[in-house]
Amino acid sequence: MTLRIWESQAGEAVSNSSSRSCNCQSRPGFTRRSFLRTAPGAVGGMAAMVAALSPLKDLPEGSLPSVEEFMQKHYKEMSPEEMDAALARMSREVEDRYGVVPSIKDYKPLEGVQFVYALNLSRCIGCRKCVHACVEENNQSRSPEIQYIRVLEMPRGTTDIEEGNHHYDRPTVPGDTHYYLPIQCHQCANPPCTKVCPVEATWKDDDGIVVIDYDWCIGCRYCEAACPYWARRFNFGEPSLPKDKINPDMGYLSNRPRPRGVVEKCHFCLHRTRQGKMPACLEICPVGARKFGNALDPESEVSQILKTKRIFVLKEEVGTLPRFFYYFDERYPRDDGNSPESHAEPVEASE
Amino acid sequence: MNTDTPTPDQTPKLIPKTTNIAWFTGPAFLIIAAWFVLLAPSPAIPVASTPEFSPTLLEMTIRGTVKEDPPILRVGSYEYRCNDCHDIFKSGTEKTENLYQHLDIKFNHGINNRCFNCHDQENRNKLVGRNGGYISYTEIPTLCSQCHGPTFRDWERGMHGKTLGSWETDNPNQRRLECSECHNPHSPAFPDYEPLPGPNTLRMGDQPTELHHERKGPLALPFRSENGSHTDEGGADQ
Repeated sequence: MTLRIWESQAGEAVSNSSSRSCNCQSRPGFTRRSFLRTAPGAVGGMAAMVAALSPLKDLPEGSLPSVEEFMQKHYKEMSPEEMDAALARMSREVEDRYGVVPSIKDYKPLEGVQFVYALNLSRCIGCRKCVHACVEENNQSRSPEIQYIRVLEMPRGTTDIEEGNHHYDRPTVPGDTHYYLPIQCHQCANPPCTKVCPVEATWKDDDGIVVIDYDWCIGCRYCEAACPYWARRFNFGEPSLPKDKINPDMGYLSNRPRPRGVVEKCHFCLHRTRQGKMPACLEICPVGARKFGNALDPESEVSQILKTKRIFVLKEEVGTLPRFFYYFDERYPRDDGNSPESHAEPVEASE
Repeated sequence: MNTDTPTPDQTPKLIPKTTNIAWFTGPAFLIIAAWFVLLAPSPAIPVASTPEFSPTLLEMTIRGTVKEDPPILRVGSYEYRCNDCHDIFKSGTEKTENLYQHLDIKFNHGINNRCFNCHDQENRNKLVGRNGGYISYTEIPTLCSQCHGPTFRDWERGMHGKTLGSWETDNPNQRRLECSECHNPHSPAFPDYEPLPGPNTLRMGDQPTELHHERKGPLALPFRSENGSHTDEGGADQ
């Protein structure tokens, strides 16, 4: 029965199509011809759409944001109750995923504090302990590997970082002909990265630390491109983090686990330093090359360094006003040339 | 019937061309879609992970201790002080080559190569100052400052050495390590370190090419030759 109707309609369609001048008074029915005409296109289109969407089947479970997360407000716009709810949600997610009950808090900048970092290039030996201590402290992804600190091996006599090398692979450090230049986020006073963010997911806090709201970041990587110090890292892959390596002391803006597709970077360990502690990279340093403190406190180590040592910043000419300073010790050459003083120091920068 | 009915030789033109195209493209799309859904490789990015290293390398090491005054050697439940022996056995010479005790001490302190530059010859429970007076074992920085003046000045201000606990200058947890907690007084230079693994940036695992080797700059990849050995500049003077 149905078939017969179709056939008759199809016949009609044929007669219609074969008479082009006819003002087809019959309704444009669902004929076999029209079906055959449109169906392959429609199926093909749907297939193309399926093909385009097919990467979604590889989406790991839980990588889509929950409704709660999706509806979460910007960090600065949250009321204390909303912040508590957000922290509780994050805590729950970490527990579900890693089986560890974390303590996630929102650490606010301290009054009257301007954090400054100083690094003694005369002392640094390039052992990379700071790099890996940072990874452990800040719950960075182990594979794909995300590290906030990069240590450049530099030939003596230049501060041109284009001459540096990340991949030095010596049996022991330091090498006799090189010095070592660790680079991490310089927490600029005039940060280019925050200016290019289209969604205000990153900004400079009152104590000078440039922070990121990982829930607000859309992963456009403009900030990564804007940073002259290569300080920002992007989570291309789903971060993998061993359950037994989780650091449960977390901060909203610092070391809580990050999702795929957001940018992260050094934040001067703000979950530690805003409680008065030292950053993890400083504590691990076996030669005491790293110094951290409050620049507004005239007694602090960094104030003394800024006052009395010969300091420089990287890429001063780009006008970012970093709060990460490199300094040297004076040289006291000895006759025998074997003393640790004369051994560990780079040639003075000629600038 | 209409008068302008087409002649049979014109009939094929009446079948719309789009239908013809769709007949071929439709199945092609279907095949491609099936290939994507079923066979296409997942978009997993090859990633490199950090090589394993001993977790003890990441423990914070304080190399020495601040000694009691006088230093106490504990053997079982016995306690010995330096003078317990040295009152009996007087040291005749101060040359280190002539030591027949304390052979574990590796002496490598530059031109300061005499025991009694720092230790008092008569009273071994004390250290000796340049003015001849005693210096307690708890005042090691005072002893060292006699020769290392600028370093001592830097240490006092926190520019040399290491401060732990807190960056707040008024925080009671703040503690600055003393000289002998980092440096072995008999051999103060730090030993060379084995560096921890270098970076394996995402998608930069083992993808060495001659092309990358040509590229200069810190973001350039290391070049590994066929046998896997590094030929980049960093290892040149190993």
